[in-house]
Amino acid sequence: MNAQTWWLLLEGAWTTAWISGVAIAIGVVAGLAIALVRMARIPVIDQVLVIYISLARATPLVTLVLFIFLVAPTFGIVMNRNIAGIMALTLNTAAFNAEIWRAAFLSFSREQKEAALACGMTNGVIFRRIMLPQMFTTSLPGLVNEMSFLIKGSPAIAVIGIVDLTRVTNRISAVTYEPLPPILAAAALYMIIISMLLKLQDMAEKKANRLTM
Amino acid sequence: MPDLPAVAIERLSKSFNGIEVLRDVDLTVNRGEVVSILGSSGSGKSTLLRCINWLEQPDRGAIRIGGQRIGVDDNGRRMPARELAALRAKTGMVFQSFNLWPHLTVLHNVTEAPIHVKGVAKKEAVRTARELLDKVGMAHKMEAYPYTLSGGQKQRVAIARALAMSPEVILFDEPTSALDPELVGEVLGVMKDLSAEGYTMVVVTHEMEFARAVSDQVVFLDKGIIIERAAPEQFFTAPETERVRKFLELKQ
Repeated sequence: MNAQTWWLLLEGAWTTAWISGVAIAIGVVAGLAIALVRMARIPVIDQVLVIYISLARATPLVTLVLFIFLVAPTFGIVMNRNIAGIMALTLNTAAFNAEIWRAAFLSFSREQKEAALACGMTNGVIFRRIMLPQMFTTSLPGLVNEMSFLIKGSPAIAVIGIVDLTRVTNRISAVTYEPLPPILAAAALYMIIISMLLKLQDMAEKKANRLTM
Repeated sequence: MPDLPAVAIERLSKSFNGIEVLRDVDLTVNRGEVVSILGSSGSGKSTLLRCINWLEQPDRGAIRIGGQRIGVDDNGRRMPARELAALRAKTGMVFQSFNLWPHLTVLHNVTEAPIHVKGVAKKEAVRTARELLDKVGMAHKMEAYPYTLSGGQKQRVAIARALAMSPEVILFDEPTSALDPELVGEVLGVMKDLSAEGYTMVVVTHEMEFARAVSDQVVFLDKGIIIERAAPEQFFTAPETERVRKFLELKQ
């Protein structure tokens, strides 16, 4: 493996990292928004979200990526590959995140909420100041798990021609006829990306000790 | 309006799943008064207390905090959430299980509501919190998180948190029932100090000595009905009903 193959690999790693990163960032917030709306139990909207969540969780990523990329033109939308990839990853991860956030809502301590109500807090203040900081800490392990699944599932975006970290190994071995070295190198790069996420999990666990009363 | 009572409860009734837990309860708590609510478990005392700040919604009857009706208006319309919150802010509550917010330090547990409900400036909120924590003997633990505290310490912080909103009345829901016996005294001591300072308090408790020493009025609930109300001396030395006599004998 020469410098040029390493450079190609790093480019692939960057593509994987930023596309997944954008999907994760949107997906975590969207998941929270979905969970919030679901807690309000608005008729029709609630059912629509339930259907979305079960569909998104059941659909393979590859299928979702292809579907978005191929269906968009029939609606006259010219879809950039990267945007299609990000949309597919986001739709997938948001559904899983919504369930993680919802579990955190449902298990939140009624006593703490009552203490906040008794102090005169409105639901908005309770959510922002009391619930969200704790829900974030307790949900982070689950969210980080989902993030690492997303990154490991992200090679699906290669089906629409995005050259991510996995796709780039094929390209390299097509030239060198030695598939193993670039694949091992890619594995190492995936590990580095995911180990950074696991750091987050450690931080959350340290904070979570406080919450055990 | 200085002569309006801090809390006025009229003909309050409440059922859970068809079981009546409060029936036609009338209770007036004047400013500066300490009212103890006694009764055996399941007599409705906690429910009565929790109706006062609308954590439970009564089926019938009216509750007024400093003259202002809580929860519904006189036409039975529900109070807007914002107004309800503002009225709740005038009542402090201390819970049996403390209910501190575990992600915040002792100091921030006390400053949270003044800053984010009342809009008090941070510096001022911290200064008040420091005074209050000093009053309950917890100033040395300001930077600690709740999980590091004993039950008695947690409850004293919870009392400071309630005081921080300068409420017109403080509701105590069995504040010492979850404490180890040796920690009960420190919490009751703080409560005695508060009554001596003239705070208006409604206390649901099983601590007979405390009720006798501190109350201006003792109320006894049995199956959701107030069957006896009296000054503490009279209540403890010459109860009118057989039910109370039995209750007091068992508590001896």
